[in-house]
Amino acid sequence: MERRRTEWLVSLPTLAWLGLFVVIPTLLVFVIAFRPANPYGGIGRGWTLDTIRALATPSYLLIAWRTLWISLLTTAICILLALPAGYTIARAPARWRNRLLLLVIIPFWTSFLVRVFAWKSLLHPEGPVKRALEALGLAGPETTLLYHPAAVVLVMVYTFLPFTILPIYAAAEKFDFRLVEAARDLGARPFQSFRKVFLPGIRTGLVTAILVVFIPALGSYIIPDLVGGPSGEMLGNKIAQRVFTDRNLPHASALSAVLVLAVLAPLVAVLILQRKGKKSDIIMGEAP
Amino acid sequence: MRRSRFPIVITVMVMAFLYLPIVILIANSFNPARFSSRWEGFSLTWYAKLFQSPEIWAAVKNTLIIAVSVTTVSVILGTAAAYALHRFGASRLQRIHYTLIYQPLVVPEILMGISLLMAFVAVGVPLGLFTIFLAHVTFCTSYVAMTVLGRLQDFDFSVIEAARDLGASTWQSTRKILIPMLMPGIVAGALLAFTLSVDDFVITFFVAGPGSTTLPLRIYSMIKYGAPPMINALSTLLLAVTLTAIILSQRLATRKSGT
Amino acid sequence: MSSDFLEFRGISKSFGPIHAVTDVSLGIKKGEFFSLLGPSGCGKTTMLRVVAGFEDPDAGRVFLDGQDITDLPPNKRKVNTIFQSYALFPHMTVRDNIGFGLAIAKRPKAEIRAEVDRMLELIRMADQAGQKPDQLSGGQKQRVAVARALINKPDVLLLDEPLAALDLKLRQKMLIELDLIHDEVGITFLYVTHDQAEAMSLSDRIAVMDGGRIEQIGAPAEIYESPRTSFVAAFIGDTNFLEGRVHDCLDRDYCRLSIAGLPEVLCYNDKVLQPGQPIYMSIRPEKIHISHERPEEKAQRNYVPGVIEDVIYLGSNTKYWVRAGGYRIQVLRQHDRYFLDEKPLRWKDDCWIWWHADDGFMLDHFRKADEGLLAVPPQSVGEPINGK
Repeated sequence: MERRRTEWLVSLPTLAWLGLFVVIPTLLVFVIAFRPANPYGGIGRGWTLDTIRALATPSYLLIAWRTLWISLLTTAICILLALPAGYTIARAPARWRNRLLLLVIIPFWTSFLVRVFAWKSLLHPEGPVKRALEALGLAGPETTLLYHPAAVVLVMVYTFLPFTILPIYAAAEKFDFRLVEAARDLGARPFQSFRKVFLPGIRTGLVTAILVVFIPALGSYIIPDLVGGPSGEMLGNKIAQRVFTDRNLPHASALSAVLVLAVLAPLVAVLILQRKGKKSDIIMGEAP
Repeated sequence: MRRSRFPIVITVMVMAFLYLPIVILIANSFNPARFSSRWEGFSLTWYAKLFQSPEIWAAVKNTLIIAVSVTTVSVILGTAAAYALHRFGASRLQRIHYTLIYQPLVVPEILMGISLLMAFVAVGVPLGLFTIFLAHVTFCTSYVAMTVLGRLQDFDFSVIEAARDLGASTWQSTRKILIPMLMPGIVAGALLAFTLSVDDFVITFFVAGPGSTTLPLRIYSMIKYGAPPMINALSTLLLAVTLTAIILSQRLATRKSGT
Repeated sequence: MSSDFLEFRGISKSFGPIHAVTDVSLGIKKGEFFSLLGPSGCGKTTMLRVVAGFEDPDAGRVFLDGQDITDLPPNKRKVNTIFQSYALFPHMTVRDNIGFGLAIAKRPKAEIRAEVDRMLELIRMADQAGQKPDQLSGGQKQRVAVARALINKPDVLLLDEPLAALDLKLRQKMLIELDLIHDEVGITFLYVTHDQAEAMSLSDRIAVMDGGRIEQIGAPAEIYESPRTSFVAAFIGDTNFLEGRVHDCLDRDYCRLSIAGLPEVLCYNDKVLQPGQPIYMSIRPEKIHISHERPEEKAQRNYVPGVIEDVIYLGSNTKYWVRAGGYRIQVLRQHDRYFLDEKPLRWKDDCWIWWHADDGFMLDHFRKADEGLLAVPPQSVGEPINGK
């Protein structure tokens, strides 16, 4: 009996805090989406479906679509780069492995805002990258590297790459590489054995890596804001704009609700697959 | 069997890619030129200008007030949560508990920011340092909990039973045995919380009020609205501080239990 | 019952679907070295934890020195535990570890210092007083754990498989030390182990447990010589199991048994039995004698002819497996001074085995699980099954 009481006593503070500051606010977002906007800013009175209906406009749909494809592209590029990197680190001798991992993690430990800013000055018209490209003849003096969806993808890949490498490394480390050798012995070419033996073997790490990029990418705000410009606008920017510029909280709520659902979808999909395949907690990145 | 060179090549390119912007940033912080296109020799002008700027100092003050208070509260909450999750892990209550703690870690910051903003507006709480404090505690607690939880995995609870066996009450065994043994993990969590609070932009952006500018917010406005290269110097300093704190945190978090 | 110092009355404890302990009652005398012996999962550790206060029994009460301690929290009981992992406080020195209980009891600093010094002398670790646990060897850690517990002068000392983590040589050394400590200190010891050698060598009495219940309680010799159930007979030492029926009972002490394929067997009996009743008999290998010729017949002995199937020479003794009447009986022969003079007993030799009727015992209970242990010969490869 004492055990039960202790359990409740120790869990209560965080349960209460999180209930108050996570659960209730999230519910509020969904609730406010059903309210009209107050013309003077803030939340109006009464209930309406107008806010939700307003979501169906072409401009919103365009932004939603752009958010989706930018996130997907970022995820794809990250995975493509992380696979060889994770593979190399896992195969490296133990001495090197820790150092390489440290090298991958250190950028993550530095201020996120600062790193985006670093790219902003790098891609600046007067910046080194532009001048290097000009010297190589790949760009004229008129081309801008900034304020373009491509810039957003580039900086997002930069930001999320360490997050992708780590789970793939973790899964590759547990993978038995003799399976690849066996495949080669049986006649498979390097890329074939990679595709048919290695990839399925690190399935869990792969799923974690995908989730760890895709979900934050959907909710990106700073990157599109600083390097995206109007043509690189994503859902995150729109929400911020509605809140701060237009003072239209219900619209912002409605957009946020859409984002919540978009974020939930892959998580739920993974959970269903997990239950079907009886794997261990994929979201935590543990190998089965 | 000749292993394909291809993965190694990619890895090297990835590493270069990761470090390029940072290296250039640090280099430019010592470059007195207005536009980083020309290198005009090593100089500390921008650092000097930083120290002379009152807005910067105000932001630093706000950031530190919040970070210290947030660290204190989230360490207490997070450690208690980690203990509950580990000790009573299998129960239904803890599974719900775990899901809740997990939320701030997976949810995009903008969602957290806006939901908290809605909540504060709906209740009528004025935005300012206090709301930033509340928001930061909400996600820092989860990170502290996960850090301490990691340490608890190796924790041999028979030590606690031994303490009880020898006459210690629950509170005494917690104070004299559990907490000292967990201390490295707790400090690691504290450093992590401190860093996250100092660094946070998105959530702070949503719940800050006038006069409660933190360092990241100041950096952001400097970036957005014309950037004196002071930012390079400020960023480099911020880089150094957060890097040091995290390295310390990692050292403590992975030390063998019981040392 | 009231003379028992530590008493379990009807203790039951389950963990979900697993019944760890079912309706166990037990009385331990003051100053006794009492062991709970059994395989993993038999409930012995649960019993220990119930005394310590770390598990609340689902049913039953625990009495210590006449007082019902069942509802007392662990820190209020006058018992101390030696944990299997020793559970020394890693951030405290040896001195602080040992003195912990006294410090909690808020004894004066001078008294604590004196008592700790005394303990350090007892375990011969005065030089290591300032060291931390991670600097100690396994044996040293165990001695610190013992000192830490004994310094509080508990009514009962609980030991949870304390030697399990030590290697063989160290284990033998610590066995002797534990024995000495018990003699010197005179406290009641409750010792939990799965190792029969430990239990037999240290204990005044042993309770053999299996599946949450007590199979038998008694002094080591009693448990060994007169096991009541097939579990106890098989768990402790080696034995042969023979299956048969009671032919008749002569006076109160002996019965004649019909065992398939063997001549009539005379066996010691302490039960009330009916002719025709099925019975299981057990005879330990070292109690059986073996020779080529039939020895001179003496009263109350059983003589059985057989063929030697296997011989294993072990230096100080030899094991023989003898096929007699459909049974494969194990015989252990100690090498005495006559051994080398005799014509050696070899594979496929005809032989005679015999034993005294007092050395056989009939079991109260034979477990279905032990049927594989009946001394029935194995089939050889290629032999048709059922003789067809």
